Parts: sequence; C-alpha cells; structure tokens
Amino acid sequence: MFVQLQGAWSPLFGRLTLDSIPYSNPIIIFAAAFSAVAGLAIVIPVLYYKKLGYIFREWICSVDHKKIGVMYIILGLVMLFRGFVDGMMIRTQQVMADGPNSPGVLEAQHGYIPPSHFDQIYSSHGTLMIIFAATPLLTGLGNIVVPLQIGARDMAFPRMNAISLWLTVMGAMLVMASLFIGDFSDAGWVGLTPLTELPYSPSVGVDYWMWAIQISSIGTTLNAINIITTIIGMRAPGMRWDRLPIFTWTTLSTSIIGLTAFPILGVALALLGADRYLGTHFYTAGMGGNLMLYTDLFWIWGHPEVYFLVLPAFGVLSEVIPTFSEKPLFGYITMVGATFAIAGVSWAVWLHHFFTMGAGPMVNTFFSVATMIVGVPTGVKVFNWILTMYRGRITYATPMLWSVGALLLLLVGGLTGVMLANPAINYTVHNSVFVIAHFHCMVLLIAFTIFAAVIYWFPKVFGFKLDEHNGKRFFWTFCIGTTVVFTAMFALGFEGETRRLDYLYDTDWMPMLITEEIGIGFYCLSVFYFFRMLYVSIRDREKNRCGADPWGTARTLEWLTHSPVPFYNFAVTPQVHELDELAWRRANNCEHVMPETYDPIHMPKNSMVPIIIGVLTFGFGFGMVWRIWWMAGFSLLAIIAAVIISSFTPDPGYTISAEEMRKMEQRKEPPGIVEDSHVPRPLVEERLV
Amino acid sequence: MKTAACKPGPGRILPHLRLCALLPLLTLAGCGAEYRVFHPAGPVANAEFHFTILNTAVMMVIIIPTTILTIVFALRYRKSQNAAYDPSFSHSLVLELLMWGVPLVIVIILTFCTYASVFDVNPADPLALDNPNDSAAMAAPLDVDVITTDWQWIFIYPSEHIATIDDLVVPQGRTVRLRLSSATVTNDFYIPQVAPMIDVMPGMVTRDAFRVNRVSEYEGFSADFSGAGFSWMQFSTRIVSPADFSAWVTKTQGAPDHLDYAKFLQIAQPTINETAAPHYFSNADPNLFAEVDMAVMGGKVFPVPADLDAKAPYPSPTLGKQDEVKSGT
Repeated sequence: MFVQLQGAWSPLFGRLTLDSIPYSNPIIIFAAAFSAVAGLAIVIPVLYYKKLGYIFREWICSVDHKKIGVMYIILGLVMLFRGFVDGMMIRTQQVMADGPNSPGVLEAQHGYIPPSHFDQIYSSHGTLMIIFAATPLLTGLGNIVVPLQIGARDMAFPRMNAISLWLTVMGAMLVMASLFIGDFSDAGWVGLTPLTELPYSPSVGVDYWMWAIQISSIGTTLNAINIITTIIGMRAPGMRWDRLPIFTWTTLSTSIIGLTAFPILGVALALLGADRYLGTHFYTAGMGGNLMLYTDLFWIWGHPEVYFLVLPAFGVLSEVIPTFSEKPLFGYITMVGATFAIAGVSWAVWLHHFFTMGAGPMVNTFFSVATMIVGVPTGVKVFNWILTMYRGRITYATPMLWSVGALLLLLVGGLTGVMLANPAINYTVHNSVFVIAHFHCMVLLIAFTIFAAVIYWFPKVFGFKLDEHNGKRFFWTFCIGTTVVFTAMFALGFEGETRRLDYLYDTDWMPMLITEEIGIGFYCLSVFYFFRMLYVSIRDREKNRCGADPWGTARTLEWLTHSPVPFYNFAVTPQVHELDELAWRRANNCEHVMPETYDPIHMPKNSMVPIIIGVLTFGFGFGMVWRIWWMAGFSLLAIIAAVIISSFTPDPGYTISAEEMRKMEQRKEPPGIVEDSHVPRPLVEERLV
Repeated sequence: MKTAACKPGPGRILPHLRLCALLPLLTLAGCGAEYRVFHPAGPVANAEFHFTILNTAVMMVIIIPTTILTIVFALRYRKSQNAAYDPSFSHSLVLELLMWGVPLVIVIILTFCTYASVFDVNPADPLALDNPNDSAAMAAPLDVDVITTDWQWIFIYPSEHIATIDDLVVPQGRTVRLRLSSATVTNDFYIPQVAPMIDVMPGMVTRDAFRVNRVSEYEGFSADFSGAGFSWMQFSTRIVSPADFSAWVTKTQGAPDHLDYAKFLQIAQPTINETAAPHYFSNADPNLFAEVDMAVMGGKVFPVPADLDAKAPYPSPTLGKQDEVKSGT
C-alpha cells in the first residue's frame, strides 16, 4: 500500500468486508428489492420463452449498429429512470428537512436521509444523468441514425462499436454496484477536489465514481472515433458534404468534441487516481498540489461535454421540425456553420464554471465574453427553426410537440445562461439553485429532444409507431412538471438557496419547496404515461404497423429503406441526388422504386469479444475500487490478451448472395430488428474461447 | 489610498442605461425579503443587482420577440389553420445576415456591461466601494481573516486581536476587507445581500470586500459543498453601529478562551456546529491566518473519519455550547 487507508485490508478481498453491504438501510434494501424484481421481470420471461440463446446471440454479441444503438438507449432510459428517482428523493428530502424544527425519520435528524447518504444521492443523480443517461441516449441515437442517414451498411468498426457499448454498460454497472456494495461518491458529480482526496473521502465511494466514469469515457472516445470514420469514409455515392443531413453534421461535430475532450477527463481522473492510490500530490492543497489544476482539467472536458450533449439535440430538432412543418430546414449552410461555431467556442469557455474562484477581472471578462458569444450561433439556430415553421404546414405529432417545448426551454436556458455569463451576476447566484435551474433547463431541453428523437425514429427501427394518445399525455405532464419545478427553483435561487443542501435552515423557502414537490408529482405522472405508452404501443403493434416513411413527410435518406430496418440497412446502396434525398425522390415520384438487380453484400460477423472485454473491465474496475489487486491485475492482463488474440484472428465477415437478398427483399416483411436471424450470422470466436 | 482614476477599467459607463434599469426594480422591490438577491445592501451588492437588471433588460430585447415569434408561428402555421404555405422558403441572405448580426450586436452591448461591471464588483478590490465623497467609507478598512474548517467559520480580527466562530460582526459604513482561506476543503463565502460570492480554498488566499451603511443582520453561509456538515455551515453577519462595534470588541477582548495555532488544531477537527452557535476568543494570534495557510501548503490535513456517523452531529471536542460573550447590538 502506498497510501494510508482507514479500515481493514486483506489480500484476498481487499477492502471488501461483510460490513460493506448496507443491509441495515431500509431505503437501500427497498432499492435492492426493486432492482431484483425488475431484473426477475426480465429474466423469467426470457427463460420461460427459451430466449436466452437468442438474447445472447442476437443482442449481447451483436455488432449491428442498430441493435447497439437500441441497447445504448435502453441503458440510457433505465439510468434516466434511476436518476429521476434520485432527483425525486433529493426534492422530497429538502421539502421534509426545511427549518430547525423539521422532523426526522429513519436514521436522519431532519427529513429521511442522513447527510452522508443524501450526498451520495445527489452525486449519483448528476453522474447518472450526464454520463449514463444523456450521453448513452445520444450516442445510441447517433449509432442508429447516422449510418442510415448516410447510406452505410454499418459503422466503420462494428466490433469496436460493441466494445464502446459494453464499456459504457460496465461503467453504469459499477454505479449500480455501489448502491448495494459499499457506497457511492459523496463529493458531487464533478468531484470537488480536495474533497475527493483520501483524507476527506476515505471510503470507496470516490473510487466507484472515478472508475465508472473512466471506463465509460473510454467507450465514448472509441465511439467518437467510430462515428467520425463512418461519416468521413462510408457515405453512399452522391452523399457529398453539402448533402449531409443536419443530424449527421451535428453528430460529426459532437464526435470531434468527444474525441478531443474525453481524453482530458481520462487524464484528470487518472491523476486523481494517482493521488488516491499512489499517494501523489497533484490535487492536494499541500505538498505542491493544486486543486485548481483539477478544476481546470475537469471543466476543460466538462464544458465541451455540455455541447457534446446539446449539439446532437439541436440536430434532432433540425430533423423533426422540417418533417412536421413539411418544409426544408431554413438556412442549411448557416445551420452547419452555427454547429461548428458552437463546437469551436466550446473550448474557450470553461472558466465560467468557476468565476468565484477569484481570477482577475480581465480573465473573467475574457471567459464571460467567450461564453456570451456562444449565444450568437445558438440564436442563429433558434431563428432557423422558427423560420422553418414560418409558412409551413405544421402537424403536432408527439415529436413535434417535444421539439417546440425544447425550443421554449432553450430560450429560458439561454437567457439565464447569458445572465450567468456576467461575473457581476454570477457572484450573486453562482452555486445557488439558480444555476441548477439554468442547467436543468438546458439538460431537459436535451431530454425533450431525446424523447422527440426516440418517438420519431422508433417506427424506423421497430416497424410500428408509438401510441400518440399516451405519448401526448406523457408530453404534457412532463412539460407541466418541468415548468412548475424549475420556475420555483429559479425563485429559490434568488432567495439564496444554495445547492447540495441536505438540511435547509430557512423556513422562508417552504412555499417554493412545496411547489417543486408538486411539480415532481407531475413528473411521476409522466413516468406512468411513458410506461403506458410503451405498453399500449407494443400491445397494439400490429395495428400501428407502418411503411418506410411512417410520418409521410420525412425528408432524409433513412426513411427510404424498410421499416423495420433490415440488418443490412439498404438492399442496394442508394444513389444520393440531393440534400433531403427522400423529399427529392417524393417530388420526382421515385421513392418506391425497387431495385431490379441485387448484388451480394458483405456483412460483419457477430462477436463475443466485446462482451468478454466488457465483463473483464467490470472486474478490473471492481478490483481497483476495493483494492483487490489480484482481481484487477488478472482482468487487465486478460483484457490485453483478448485484444491481442482477437486482433490476430482473421475475421472476414460473411457474404449474403444476391439470390438470398432478393428472397429477403421480396418477403412481405423484411427481417426486422427483433427477428431471430434467418441467415446464419455465426460467432467465429471459438478459437478465442 | 488608491482612487478609481488610477485603476484599470472603464469606470462608470452607460449611466443612462442604468437609470432605465432602475424601473423594473420597483416591481422586484415588491418581492418579500426572502428574495435575498433582490434586496442588496451596500455598494457592491447594489452594483451587482443593477447589472443583473441591466443585463436581463438587454437580453429581453431579443428573448421576448423570439418567444412571441415561436409561439405565434407554432400556432399560426398549424395544418388546420390553412395559412400560407411556401415549401420553397428555405434561404434568405438578408434574414440570415440579420440572424447572425442582431445577436452579435446584443453580445457586444453585453460585453460593455460585463467590462463595466467586473471592475465594480471584483471581489479582490471592488471599485464600487470607492466613494471619495464619503470620508467614513474611505477611512482605513476593517480587516478580517476568514478560515473555514470542517465545518465551521472562523473570523479573526488581527488588529483587534479577537476571533469568533460563526459570527461576523462589523461596523456600519466602514469598508470590510476579507482574506479567506480554508484549512480543509473548498467552501464558498456567501452573504447574498452583501458581498460577492467567493471561493474559500485550502492552500490559496482569496479576497472579498463589502460595506453596509445601515445597522442590519444577514445570514451568511457556505455555498460550495464541503462534506457531511456542509448544510450546517451558517454564520450570522451583524452590521452594528461604530459605538456598538467598539463595545463588542472590548467585550470580546475579555473572553476567557484564547486562540493560537495549538487551539486552532483542536477547533479544526471535523465538527458539525448544528445550531451555528457562536464562540468568542480573546488574544487571537494575528498571524494565525498565515500560519494555517503555511501549514496547509506544507501538507497538513484534518482527515474525516470513514465511519462518520452523520446522524448525530458530534459537538466540538473542545467547545461547549456556551455563548457567554454574545454581544448586545
């Protein structure tokens, strides 16, 4: 051991003891029971219908970009749900723990959660929502949509794509494990140094947080490489840069941010790891360390990460609004320019996250102005969307409702964002819940567009539409919840309530806290309608079957192929003639033209390597968290071996003959995403295993 | 004494715009006292509030029309409305130049606001405090050293040789200059109505300054999360008359407890001061701030126990709940 640890350590189990399992905490026991029931609800039907082999072969080992995208989105939605439950617990604790006379239940003096547990909840809320909900949801969307929009058969590196997915999943699994074994970080999702250093966070919580993010950020970096390569190298013939759909443009810009920003996070966390494991002094207050170093590094990643999330969200708006306005997007070139302007400026604004750290007026002015400049291209985008609606024929299907909602949220978020960009204002509300309300407006704008995107592209992937009736109820309840909670939170910010309070000393806040809790009630209702939407849609799927273009007015290439998309995407790679290819073909009456001849196509094989690497990474992370060195060391060596062996194993993929293609295309229903494969898609890794 | 003229910065620009910005103040003043940020006290907080209003007003020039356009277009061009439909309208050079140009102009205006304001409210040396016409304000400032521990505030008055825990007492009308540093982790000094928020960091010294002209009381607290006792890190801020301040200083100088580095080491052990009960020290070491800062930079830490039972905040190991020297204001 290089560092002094509090508590016991053994070579076999590291820091892990039976006491690490918080079985005495009723909230965690309930969470464990809930997770177990939810898990069984999935596992039992799978076993009953003997689908285990199917799940393993067709999903776990899949390298199909659509299946990987769907799994990303499922992961994101599950984590979104857990993050929501965390958020609900935070709000409920605060409304219960307002004032010195507020009662306490369970183990808490005020409210129902003691500080150490509360701090873990708000930390995991932030970590989950940003890293394990928003990021996978948008990565998943990019995964599904980008190859379809550019007419590719799959991603450039299908197997690496699956590795990205499983690394992200394992990061999320580490966060879930921290719920039941040990504890999670109580130092915020940003990891406030030196609070994250061993003397001030002696338990394994910070290690869980650090490794979960570290592992998933490797996955995100790999995915960025994949997307960039795919967009540059695998566009269909005729898909020139000036015909690239906007969502693909935004995903490209976001992946460039991802590729350049996530390694910084990796380094920042690795240095923190060195402090915690080796006893170095990068971020300590003393011995030559500097906590500002971490703050700078974290936010040099952190702010581009915000745009990493918001740019694809803008891309979704730029796809949905034209479709439902029956008009091309206004100002395509300005839109692309604005996207890259935002991506570029995103590198020059990080200091606005800590104006209060005492930098001089000139430094603060630079970052203040840079931050406000972001408002210019963002404003351009808003005007573009408004002018797209101008003289359009708008139909309010649910994706369009979410989009207009997102637009209004963006205006509130933008206004408050520019307010916060001025240090003079920032000094009065920084670290107050005003900031929380501001960035929740922005992140909820992302959530709004994600819901729009999921509902918009769902029929493309699964071949049937989601239920509009429940979808609209989901939208309105969510919308009311958002308005109520965050209006009250802005007010609380002006009332001086600061963030991360487990106990609130000021009873003047009570009316607004109760208002927030009412908003949370609407959110709960919206969760109900979300699940009801899924249930009703799946129940009535035969009724809601749809053709290639379920909305009737879609414009881009992905709507040209069948719904559900067959695993090979396009039977014959399409020739692209125009920006908004489908709209062009519709205008020229050639959208339903079937190919006359088929060519053999080449597809990548499924592989067990990604899931093996994923499981080993979990082993590595868990071993490092608990300092079980043999487990971490074995996992790391096995990962290296797996990578080397699979690199030297030739994987030529497989070919589908022209005749087979013709048969599949002429079936009434082409092979969809949930279908068990009719063509053999072998696992070739027998030699490895 | 430095004056505004010899400092960098634009001084007071846009005075007329500022007057306009006062109008919405009338509505905000209607908000209750619980809206702390809307009830600034003293020149720095006033300047902050003015720029809040000014900035928001400038933004509204673009936000309000955009919001109205969004809603109007979203309703007017519904399919059912049979409004004009022009699917070819997807490009307009004039409009596109305008949509880059107008926000740019707004940002340029806001840049002037920022540049004007950052020097006014710069926590290290706020120009807003300079008032050559007010001799009391330009008199020698009161220096207070602020140290945060896990999880208390220690205020040291080096010239008066006194110190307090969780109680900041300053005279009205006199500029107060703070030096802040932490013995453990980062906190954030925040009195919403009075002073710019400023981080309190271990191994680093930040500065803050304020002046309040009326006798009043405010709640101060930490705004940056610092661990299990963070929610209980409040301190009272009492602005008292100069006479009362002198009386309070004299009284505190008679407090039985003394504060030197050895005593500080005891106080700085993790302590949740649940009721923010104040404590007072006489004979406070005027160099304590520098000593603590040096020790922290030399690697001194105050570890938090892993089995911290946050359910029952434990009292200070050395101090009871006596507050026998709480002053009369």
